[in-house]
Formats: sequence, C-alpha cells, structure tokens
Amino acid sequence: MSLELDLATGLLYLLVFPGFAFLFVYGLTAEYLDRKLYARLQNRVGPPVVQPLADFLKLLAKESAVPEDATARIYNAAPWTGLAGVFTAMLYVPVWSEQAAFAFEGDLVVVLFLLSLPSFSLFFGGWYSGNVFSRIGTTRTITQLFGYEIPFFLACFAPAVAAGTLSTSGIVAFVEANPLYVFVLLPAFAIALLSLQAKLERIPFDIPEAETELATGALVEYSGRKLALFRLTKDVELVVGAALLSALFLGGPAPAGAIEGSVGLVAGVVVFFVKTLTVIALLTVLKAVVARLRIEQMVDVFYRVLVPVALVQIALVLAVGLYTNGVIP
Amino acid sequence: MGRIIDWARNRSPWILHLNCGSCNGCDIETIDALMPRYDIERFGIQQKDTPRHADILVATGPVTEQMAPRLKRVYEQMPEPKLVIAAGSCASTGGVFYDCYNCREGIDDVIPVDMYIPGCPTSPEALIDGIVKLLAESGKEAQAERLAEKKPEIVEEGTPIDEAVPKEPDADRTETDDAPQEGADEPEPVEV
Repeated sequence: MSLELDLATGLLYLLVFPGFAFLFVYGLTAEYLDRKLYARLQNRVGPPVVQPLADFLKLLAKESAVPEDATARIYNAAPWTGLAGVFTAMLYVPVWSEQAAFAFEGDLVVVLFLLSLPSFSLFFGGWYSGNVFSRIGTTRTITQLFGYEIPFFLACFAPAVAAGTLSTSGIVAFVEANPLYVFVLLPAFAIALLSLQAKLERIPFDIPEAETELATGALVEYSGRKLALFRLTKDVELVVGAALLSALFLGGPAPAGAIEGSVGLVAGVVVFFVKTLTVIALLTVLKAVVARLRIEQMVDVFYRVLVPVALVQIALVLAVGLYTNGVIP
Repeated sequence: MGRIIDWARNRSPWILHLNCGSCNGCDIETIDALMPRYDIERFGIQQKDTPRHADILVATGPVTEQMAPRLKRVYEQMPEPKLVIAAGSCASTGGVFYDCYNCREGIDDVIPVDMYIPGCPTSPEALIDGIVKLLAESGKEAQAERLAEKKPEIVEEGTPIDEAVPKEPDADRTETDDAPQEGADEPEPVEV
C-alpha cells in the first residue's frame, strides 16, 4: 500500500469512522437512549431525540468562566485530556471485524490506560478549580478509582489469559473461533459491567457526583464549553466502554465476522450496534433499579467480593484452557 | 448560527432552585414540578445543583436580609446568558412579608427578574408554563437582536423603530419599581 493511501485511511479512521464523527454522533445517541430508557423505567415520557445535541450546543454557546481560585492552566486543559483519551481508545477497539483500526501486541493495556484518563482529568480539573465541594468530589473520584480499577483490569485480563495475547484484536479473533468461551467468561463480564458503571460514575456508584451532598462534585465550578466537553467525554466513554466489553466478552462481531466483503462489513457494524446497545441497556437498567452506595460500601464490595471472583475467573479460564489442550483429562 | 443557538437554548433550560426565606410552600411545589408525574425532562428542563451549570434561577421567598447578599452572589456566579424567575407571591412582591423589618420586597429588590409567577404557593403547572413562556419570550428578544444587528437601519440610537422589534423589557419596569407598591398585590396571573 502506498503512503498516500495509508495516510488517507488513517485520517478516515481518525476523523470519520470509528473516530471523531462516528463517536460524537453515537455518543449523543447513546446518551439519548440511556435517558429515554431511564425515563421509561420511571414511568415517564422522557426527553426528545435531539435533547443531548441541544444540551451540548447550548453549553458551547454559554459563558465559560474560570474561577479566581482556580489554577487556570490545568483547569482549562483538563477537559481536553479526558476527551482525547477516550477518542484515542476507540481506535484500538475492533468495530466492524476482528481487526481494529490500529492494532499492536499489547494494545489492551493502552486501551485500559486511556479509559482511566477521564477519571484523572476529572480529578485534576476538580482539584485545581479551587472549590471545597469539588475537592471532596475529586478525593472520592480517586478513592473510587482505586476500588474499581483492579477488578476491571483483572476481569479484562481473563479473556487475555484465555487467548494468550494482550492484543484486543487477537482476543476477539480467539473468542470468535471458540464461541463457548462467552459462557466461561460470564462472571468476568458481570464484574466488568459493574466496574464500567463505577468508572462512569453512574448510580449506584455516583458517590463522587452525589448531587444531594456535593453539588455535582468535581464539575461544580465548570460551566459552558468546558462542561460540554466533560459531558461529551462521559458519553463517548460510555460508548467506548460498551464497545470494549462487547469485544472482550461477547466476541465482537462474532456471527458476522466470517462473512466476506462489504456485506460482512455492514453485518459487522450491525452486530456492533446490537451488542453495544445491549451493554448500555444493561447499565441503564442497573442505574434505574438501585440506590446510591456510600463510598466505603462501594470499595468494600469491589475489594472483598469482586476481586476474589475475578481471581477465581482467571483460575477457571486457566483450567478450561488446560482441559481443552488435553493436559487435564 | 444564531438561530441554532437560540433553538438549543430553548430546548435545554437548566434550572437552579434557591430558597430566599420562603415558608417552604413554594419550594415543595417546585420540587413537585420536578417529579415524574410532570416529567419536565420532556421540555429538556433539568434541575442543576450548582449555579455554574444553570440557565434559569428559580427563586422563592421574600428575600430575608441575611439571604439578600447570597442571592446576589448566586446570581453573579451563573454564567451568561441567564434568566431569573420569581416563583410565588412573596418572591414577586414580598407577599405577607411586605414592609416586614427583616425582609426585602421580593426578588426584584435584589436582582433583575424576567418572569413573575404568582400563587401562594405556585402550582407546578404554573411554574412549568412560566418557564416555557419565558423561553418563548427570550427567544423572540434574541431574534429581534439578531434582526437589529443584520439591519441596523431599523434601529435608531439604540431604540428600535420597527414594530417587529420589541422594546427593551426593562424600560417601563424601572418606573413601577420606584413607585409605591401598595395595592399592586400581584402581577397578571399566568394562565394554566
């Protein structure tokens, strides 16, 4: 392939699909579906389709003040860092086939790192905005981060151990070839779902936001354009997280991956939407049916229950691997 | 571009509720309006927890002397463009606390108010109707401003000469503010 063509496809990946334009539209759509389903579960009508777009545009057009006590440089840079992180993460997650837009051995680690960037950007933005509420919120964000990151990493490494590779594309190809692993990996999927919910700071793990106690926590001083970016980051993180989960635990484009040509491409994208929307719907139902935990309850659940379960899951995966290879009769 | 922004502002009003010494009646009704029964998310209305996120300040109560500087501060913390709703009789005129030793006479004694919603307490329907009408009104204003910007010939020394451009809303209010408020109990009731 010539250099120009390489550059063109790279830009296409970066800016259109599965990069900027696609993530922007799908992120806002996911927010709409999330809010609509949430409203229906509460026996309400819910917002109109264009609601997330209206919120976003309105915030872009509003004044974006920098508080006097804030450290302006960090305060202004924080929203961009998180957004850049989640947009980059999507390039390493397979969408239409088992091959991601860009891939190398070990990109799973990079994706996991980039997905925790929004939490850190939230921390830095909130901490340096010079408000007491946002400082309490950010300490809770970090406490919660220590709670969910370890179970999340362990759960994501279970399919990596099964496939024997740290490349997301390799894992997808492996699960596609051995579809029964979807059932073996169910506990890890559940752990990853809960951790993703905590990562996105949604009910029952919205302790850092806690409207009634902290007045939106870390984002308390953010307004206008920067707030819009933080909200977009949350939306895109939801989509990327759902895409990662569907790739690691649900086999990515599993039934459609075998089809060749452009038909296979379209089928792969359709399967991608079905699977990610299923994950998003699960997260929304979880948000609608439970109440908020306290911070120490949350850390307690993640350390005492989910970490051991994740370790057992990895042991199970190893045992199944040995059995299928005929080491254990 | 301006039209798109107006559309977005109309579709996504985020409110901040502030109690300025109300008896709690109007506050309970305001919270009522946020409940699933009325489902104000249909209009994109959301209750926000910090003045930095809010577009509309819904203030209740006659403004006690202690609350007055705080109300002013919360108003100043809100990012532009912002609107203020005085919800309830006390917030509009001072109500039963009129001429009381520890109170101001309503929200407009401290900050400029864009919409008065009478009632003791206000009903949630009146509040929702008020917000929707206020948005329609401010949309018209913004439209007029855009028109004036595009065709400066219809504006003469800051005053619009065309009928399509409404006059400055504050122009006639300052007179009534200075006048004694006796007898002027409530502004026009909002139709529900």
